[in-house]
Amino acid sequence: MATRRLTRKEQMQQAILYPVDWLEERSGLVGAVKYFLFRKVPGDTNWFQTLGSATLTAFIVQALTGTILAMYYKPDPNSAYDSIQHITNDIWAGWLVRGMHRWGASVFIILMFMHMGRVFLFGAYKYPRELNWIIGVLLLASGLGEGFTGYLLPWDQTAYWATVVGININGTAPFLGPFLAQFLQGGTYINADTLSRFYAIHMLMIPGAIAALIGLHLYLVIRLGVTSPPWSKEAAGTGPLDGETPNGKVGRAGLSRFRRGR
Amino acid sequence: MATDRIAERRRIFKQYKDDVESRGKPFYPFAMFHDTVMSLVVVVVITGLAIVWKYSTPGDHIGTDPGWLGKLYDDPADPGTFNFVPRPDWYFYFLFYLLRIFKWPDTVLLGTIGLPTVLLVLLIAVPFIDVRPERRLLRRPVAIVASILVVVSMGVLTYKGATAKESLGSELVAKVPDWAKTQGFSGNQQALGGAKLFAESGCLNCHTYLGLGGGFAGAPDLSAEGAKNKGIDFQIRHLENPAGVNPGSPMPSFQGLGTANLKKLATFLESSKGGK
Ligand code: HEC
Ligand code: HEM
Repeated sequence: MATRRLTRKEQMQQAILYPVDWLEERSGLVGAVKYFLFRKVPGDTNWFQTLGSATLTAFIVQALTGTILAMYYKPDPNSAYDSIQHITNDIWAGWLVRGMHRWGASVFIILMFMHMGRVFLFGAYKYPRELNWIIGVLLLASGLGEGFTGYLLPWDQTAYWATVVGININGTAPFLGPFLAQFLQGGTYINADTLSRFYAIHMLMIPGAIAALIGLHLYLVIRLGVTSPPWSKEAAGTGPLDGETPNGKVGRAGLSRFRRGR
Repeated sequence: MATDRIAERRRIFKQYKDDVESRGKPFYPFAMFHDTVMSLVVVVVITGLAIVWKYSTPGDHIGTDPGWLGKLYDDPADPGTFNFVPRPDWYFYFLFYLLRIFKWPDTVLLGTIGLPTVLLVLLIAVPFIDVRPERRLLRRPVAIVASILVVVSMGVLTYKGATAKESLGSELVAKVPDWAKTQGFSGNQQALGGAKLFAESGCLNCHTYLGLGGGFAGAPDLSAEGAKNKGIDFQIRHLENPAGVNPGSPMPSFQGLGTANLKKLATFLESSKGGK
């Protein structure tokens, strides 16, 4: 059989599909992404359920702006303050990156609390999602830890003295307190090593832990599925959809529902 | 009983999975659309805050003058400084304010470590305390009450922490002659110098003295510190290393002030017998 010459369109398709197939054959990643994108979620998930991914976005903003800041910031008591001034006043858009990192931190924390509130009010921490709630609490604690360690880095008066008192308060904890205070300070007093130590904790240790925990968190979200709102009539919370076929096809009715933004 | 409950919740979850499979909608594009919009809002808000932060400061938008969202940066850190305000970022205000409520040493541990630890443990325990499958809010009265209580108390503590007034060193220094009269150390140059340092060094952010000051971190009233007759040497040692003298003290070291200044401070403290 003589092979038919491919049309232009088919050639294009092949050119696009080839690398995708290549990747899929060797990693299975394409299948994974497809599974992630096309997995079913309850029909009536709503805006409250976007708070988790909004938190994720805030974390990504922190990671990106933080990386840029790390290129100019100097974690040493003699130059930290100057490097912050340099970033804020001299570097092109430095103030923007620093401002986004600084206020992004607050937004991140607020979103975490709001997301937690939504999970609580929806009762979404119940069986079988207990573990994901615990991971969430660890994320919350790590997020607050980022706030505490990041606050010292500008090495200005507010930063310095808030941290001195903060460390001293950690130090009052029974048993572990003094060790924790020593660990944070890198010694018995706040000193030159304290700053670089806070920096290492702030930009490596805790973010690494947060990234890993977010990975676990999302794995569980995908594995278990998100809950439907508690007021929904059915377990999956589809609710009566006008004209939707019951066999899983999201037809025009589903789409128009979506357009109405419900 | 317990096995019934386990069987019941397994059944509910299985039904959920089946329902989603047969009647759910795909994440893309439906939920993804909402997520994307929300994420864009987040990025826009963060960028907006950064812009307001910078451009609401007066003049050429550099330096330490505050704008609507506060200063771009404060003066450089100075461990030997006078006058500081130990103020954390806003999401720690509630803890910060707790420190004003509890008194050293009996209950301050409760406030700083006890309560946060209890809260953390309680938070982790939530799914194990509330094991019923019921998720409708109106049928979870305890959850409603608990969340209202948490939100209100966090809100109040944060607000109180945000509005707590710190006295400025310059205003306090004006009080030194009054203090000297009340305590009767007007003739003592060392004590007068110490009183000035005391007003300028942020001691009153934590301590109270003759009715002024913070009452923070459970720090004791110092109006009658001298009446305890602990001696100048003790005071210097304590100022150099508070935690070394009173283990667990959250008071920072004031070694940075230098020996001469510490001596003045100590004299002032020992001259403070509480007035007539
Ligand atoms: C961060 C809050 C804080 C600041 C700032 C602070 N203190 Fe204290 N201070 C405390 C606490 C808490 C105690 C109780 C524990 C202790 O004795 O160390 C205390 C105790 C004391 C005592 C009693 C010691 C005794 O055993 O009789 C004196 C005197 C004192 N402080 C003086 C000062 C002076 C002077 C300054 C300013 C140079 C100052 N403090 C700044 C928190 C503070
Ligand atoms: C870095 C912080 C966090 C990120 C990035 C994150 C992300 C997410 C995302 C994307 C979801 C999917 C559903 C949704 O968006 O609502 C989710 C669900 C969930 N999150 Fe988080 N989260 C974070 C913190 C927390 C915290 C602090 C808690 C609670 C203590 C928590 C508990 C949960 C639970 C139980 C679910 C399952 C909810 C359901 O199935 O409906 N998460 N999270």
